[in-house]
Amino acid sequence: MRLPRDTGAAFLFLSPLLVLVVGLIAYPFARALWLSLTDKLVGYPERFVGLRNYAYLLDDDTFHEVVKNTLVFTVGSLILKVLTGLAMALVLNAVWRWRNFFRGLFLLPWITSTVIIALTWRWMFDAFPGRGFFNSVLLDAGLLGRPIAFMATPAGAMFAVIVANWWRAFPFFGVSYLAGMQAIPRELYDAASVDGAGAWERFRHVTLPGLKHILIVTIVLSFILTINDFNIVYVMTRGGPGTATQVFATYSYEVAFNQLRWGRGVTISIFLVPALVMAIALVSRYLLRDRE
Amino acid sequence: MAHRRVSRRHFLIGTATAGAALALGAREAPAQKKAANLRLWILKTYVEPTNKAIEASAQRWAAKHGGTVTVEYFTFEDMQTKYVAAIENKNTPDVGQLETSAPARFAGMGQLLDLGGFAKQIESQVGKPPANVAPVNIVDGKTWAIPWYIMAPFWYVWRDEFEKKNVKLPTTFEEAKQAAQALNRPKDNFYGLGQSWNRTADGYGVMQSLMYSYGAAWTSKEGKYRSIKTPAMQNAMRWATDIYKEGIQPADTLTWTGSGNNENFIARNIAQTSNGPSITFAMENAVAKATDAADRKKKEEALANHMALPHPGGPDGRRMWAIAMSFGIFKNSKDPESAMSLVAHLLSPEETLGVMKDSYGQFAPVLDKGRAASRDYFNKNENYRTFGKAAEWFVPTGWPGPITAAAAEVQASNVLTDAPAKVIVDKWSVDQAIEWEDKKIKEIYGTLGA
Repeated sequence: MRLPRDTGAAFLFLSPLLVLVVGLIAYPFARALWLSLTDKLVGYPERFVGLRNYAYLLDDDTFHEVVKNTLVFTVGSLILKVLTGLAMALVLNAVWRWRNFFRGLFLLPWITSTVIIALTWRWMFDAFPGRGFFNSVLLDAGLLGRPIAFMATPAGAMFAVIVANWWRAFPFFGVSYLAGMQAIPRELYDAASVDGAGAWERFRHVTLPGLKHILIVTIVLSFILTINDFNIVYVMTRGGPGTATQVFATYSYEVAFNQLRWGRGVTISIFLVPALVMAIALVSRYLLRDRE
Repeated sequence: MAHRRVSRRHFLIGTATAGAALALGAREAPAQKKAANLRLWILKTYVEPTNKAIEASAQRWAAKHGGTVTVEYFTFEDMQTKYVAAIENKNTPDVGQLETSAPARFAGMGQLLDLGGFAKQIESQVGKPPANVAPVNIVDGKTWAIPWYIMAPFWYVWRDEFEKKNVKLPTTFEEAKQAAQALNRPKDNFYGLGQSWNRTADGYGVMQSLMYSYGAAWTSKEGKYRSIKTPAMQNAMRWATDIYKEGIQPADTLTWTGSGNNENFIARNIAQTSNGPSITFAMENAVAKATDAADRKKKEEALANHMALPHPGGPDGRRMWAIAMSFGIFKNSKDPESAMSLVAHLLSPEETLGVMKDSYGQFAPVLDKGRAASRDYFNKNENYRTFGKAAEWFVPTGWPGPITAAAAEVQASNVLTDAPAKVIVDKWSVDQAIEWEDKKIKEIYGTLGA
């Protein structure tokens, strides 16, 4: 029979991929899921404790704070990224001269190391006299009598980490939207103009619908990356002041590596899985629909 | 020449005879120990010459014994991460420097070799540590690490600021707060104090010194959980939060990282702060790097003007939490004998003295002969004389009980510094914060025990 022989060959060709998927995705995920059901402490063998870690976190006031902080950080960053990304794309789409130069220039934050970005923004918001950029400028201009401690308040610290995250990622949004805008047929704009549509109407009824899929894909991808962000928050605030900027990734790190409670640390990350699965399902659905 | 055919029987007899001869020869030959190849993990401190001196000392041992020592660094920041990853991956070094809580934590995990016999050998060669330092390395009566030095915090002040306003140099936390009120000049961006409750030893270390000096503790002498809902803890927490409410600190103090207080003190933005002698190192280094005579004079004046006082005490005495650095040998070591030889070499008075001389006072040896050898060095000036007394006031994590894994986790969980932050940032009451902190500590002891 030919079928079993073909199946064997197919398995043979698929096996490298299968090994990669199982080894790099399925096994680590299954292991993480298992660890979340144990009381694993660093250096000790794990013991099955069922859903005790989940129950603990649901009752943990710091974890409640972490959920709230993560949502504020993610949603705040996303809104800024979409708005500035659109603005960047609109400007670059309208400019012909130097467009490639500006496109390259705007990509600089995207290609810069995240740690460098975080340190730079930390320096920008610093209240140390003569060092923090904003304070130095405002003090030298005579607009301030004393430096402002931007990162000493919960709101200020959250604002600072959102700004740093936004600054790193908005070029990705801008370049994606620009590509999308350039794919919208010129005739649609001409037809809309003939019908009396102004700039706002053209944007609302032609540009935005034309960018719909790109908007969804970029938002969902960025949502996944932002909700898992560690570097910016850790370098800039360590989750402080207090727990004001503690997010999933930093709290998970603190519990797993400082408190040595690996099981609980993994559970913190696992809590994100349903949200991430939904996000991935959404992106996949749209991507597959496009293909169809 | 015709080849003679060798029968299987002759071949077997021949190989057996040759093997026996070789074996006999090997037994008679002097034991040739394989050259040791060790991995040594050490703390990278802010004082670079100390790091280099320890590395050089290890290489001297390697040269003497015909082996190699690969020195790897961990920092205050990644200390836990590196050890955790190494333990879980079974890739621990042969010898590792361990901070105050690490011997108890790692011994509990079964990672360390019992160094009871070796400790006795070291004791006969270099002496004993002081009675308050020794318990850091002993769990359940067994010795898991050998103490080397204490890196202690001191109370740094600008002498001229105190003299100008005729303010008494503080000996207690309360006096330090009063001095801060008297010296505070916010209009000039100069504040009376700079004490951050951050997630570094400058935060949780000072918080422990404050608590213990006020008589507040979360364990009994036996190391069992004890409630911190006490008047002593209320007083300690009030001090910790009042310094923020009273405007005697820069507004961003809570956001300082480990170097924030160093920078602000050296830049003369604050009159007092708690810190290790890395401030002295920076100031001595600045003199050495002065560009011209005028610059040198200015920096020498600043150096002479900065004072390192003993850490403040409280109503219950002066108890100072510090980083006590020890050497542990990991069970995974393929060559524990060589590892012990390396540790013995590093702990010898000559090598200890060599490292200490490059430490700018932050390295206070704890073993008898090391301390004796360091006497002249610490007699350099008043600041150094204070540095030399570091071990005198030392108390470990979880005072008054022994260090346990649970006590170490209380420190590592940042609950000690998050509690005052709840009052300062989230505007909780002192009692609310203590209630929250007590609940967290109780949970830790509930799951880890003593």
